[in-house]
Amino acid sequence: MAAHTLNIYMLSLGRMHCHIYGRNVHKALNRATYATALSTNNSSPNKGFPDRGSRGPIIRRPRREEGEPRKDRMPVDQDWTAVYPTAAPFRPGSVPLPVRMGFPVKRGVPPEKKGNLELIKIPNFLHLTPTAIKKHCEAMKLFCTEWPSALDTNVKCDEHFPIKIECKDYVSAGTSIRNPSARIVNLRVSICPNYDYAMYLLTVLYHESWKTEAWESEKTVADMEEYSWEDSPSQKNALSTLVRMQIAGEVEGDAVRDKLLGRPEVQEYRESVIRLMNEGESESSILQYREAVKKLLKL
Amino acid sequence: MWRACQSERHLGQYYTLPTSHLHTIFPHGLPARYQQQVKTFNEGCVMVRQPALELISYLKAADYSKPAVRYLLYGLKGSGKTMSLCHTIHYCSTQGWLVLHIPDAHLWVKNCKELLPSSYHTSRFDQPIEASNWLRNFRTTNERFLSKIKLRQRYTWTKRESTEKGSPLGELVDMGVSRVKSSSDVVGAVLKELRLQAAETEESEGFRLAVAIDGVNSLWGRTTIKKEDKSPVAPEELTLIHNLRKMIDNNWCGGAVIATLSQTGSLYSPSSAYLPKELLGEEGFDSMDPFIPVPVSNYSEKEFESCYLYYLDRHWLQHPHSENEGKKEIIFLSNRNPSVLERLCAFL
Repeated sequence: MAAHTLNIYMLSLGRMHCHIYGRNVHKALNRATYATALSTNNSSPNKGFPDRGSRGPIIRRPRREEGEPRKDRMPVDQDWTAVYPTAAPFRPGSVPLPVRMGFPVKRGVPPEKKGNLELIKIPNFLHLTPTAIKKHCEAMKLFCTEWPSALDTNVKCDEHFPIKIECKDYVSAGTSIRNPSARIVNLRVSICPNYDYAMYLLTVLYHESWKTEAWESEKTVADMEEYSWEDSPSQKNALSTLVRMQIAGEVEGDAVRDKLLGRPEVQEYRESVIRLMNEGESESSILQYREAVKKLLKL
Repeated sequence: MWRACQSERHLGQYYTLPTSHLHTIFPHGLPARYQQQVKTFNEGCVMVRQPALELISYLKAADYSKPAVRYLLYGLKGSGKTMSLCHTIHYCSTQGWLVLHIPDAHLWVKNCKELLPSSYHTSRFDQPIEASNWLRNFRTTNERFLSKIKLRQRYTWTKRESTEKGSPLGELVDMGVSRVKSSSDVVGAVLKELRLQAAETEESEGFRLAVAIDGVNSLWGRTTIKKEDKSPVAPEELTLIHNLRKMIDNNWCGGAVIATLSQTGSLYSPSSAYLPKELLGEEGFDSMDPFIPVPVSNYSEKEFESCYLYYLDRHWLQHPHSENEGKKEIIFLSNRNPSVLERLCAFL
């Protein structure tokens, strides 16, 4: 009983929920019926077609009868690969299954497959039955060579081909046929037997990375990988605020600046700003920033 | 005044805004739906909540000889930021502060019907309608200060018109309301005068200045206003925004800047954004830094109960199930978000 009322309540509120932020989705709640005083009855020779006036009736070729749909003539042991040899849209007359898809309107059932756009829109794998795949493999075998007999163990494979690429494919039900984690491709390298050569390569790379190119000096703030508080607007703001807070008596200069920077509140503030910038925002980092600012401003 | 004595004991309880205050302090400040509620219930009741109390305690504790502290209210959509701001403004007003309330800064960067090139600065643009509206509301809110504050400088508007040094602020504001063409510059002048004069102490005719801006993130975002050659106008090219940014800097003393972030009216920002840095952007954050962020969240259990009882008391909830089962459904549907709760209850 409680569940029943909840249901009805939810349905009625569900419709109203659309009103909540001002978007009136279901406007058609009151359908007005119009009664015209004049009745319209221009009889035209073609029933259901618009009145063409003096141009005359539309001449259409008589439509021929539809044949029996293919599914009614399918034997049980037919060759399915002949029905769907390639990827093709869903044809309700060619698929002998009683499939239904769609939203059940007014406590009904999902609509049948005849004329069902939903079934046509989604990707189908009717062309990839096991029999079809076997046929593909048989056809491809003509172009393949034998697996090298010497590479019969995993160890030997690793020795000759140290770099491995792994691709992952996913099958899941969802709104999209793409799975973002399928994009990740792993490349594995194991240390090759020539250890010394590997070390030499790494040393060379290390020294190369220390060399500064001429264009590297043009690196701007936007290019920096990490946020550095020194010389940032945040540091300038904090220092100027502190200076203004202390105004009378203090002499401006580098000594004052360094003294201010050395204070624990300033360090704490610096930590919180760096955390905010590098890690991005979150409730905890904002609260940490808040505490630091409160201490800085002595509130 | 008892309003100043609100403390944690009063958390979750409602207090009534006197009708006279509603007209003077909030001619343009309250959220639209709340104004409708005030009209329906014939009274304006505000719930005492934690963020507003926190802000008020900071304001009480702050030292006003130091530079102005910036406070930023942030939170999810509909959690009560504007109402907390209004509560704080009411407190400031009752304590005798001068309140500079910009009800929605987003309105100044979009849908501008008239854009004039500024007479004062060639590359900037004026918005006469918005400026004169704001001046009118400012005049209503701060009547008593208008004759007390005297101008420190002479302002020349045209060859024949100028406002002399030493004349009262009210004259300047009246001029801005009547001469709509130069109203944006008048706004700039008013802000400058207030900024300079707030630093004085109470004895020498000084006052405390509260700058309250709702939707402060619009100052550093993008605008939808276009120039005649269809190129977009940057916010700093608008006189009103330029002057407002100067108020947010903490190079003046004797007051506070209380701002709220608002995604609702903002342009070109994702609807799920609510944290300060997301909405302010790099430039905004650097300008506001260091500021004190004050989070505003959905109603707690106690606050929700209080709000629900208030609606029941006002006979707003008419549905027979409102007492028990309906309450659980409402909690579920609204997640105790104040604005969603208010909209849901409007149907019952």
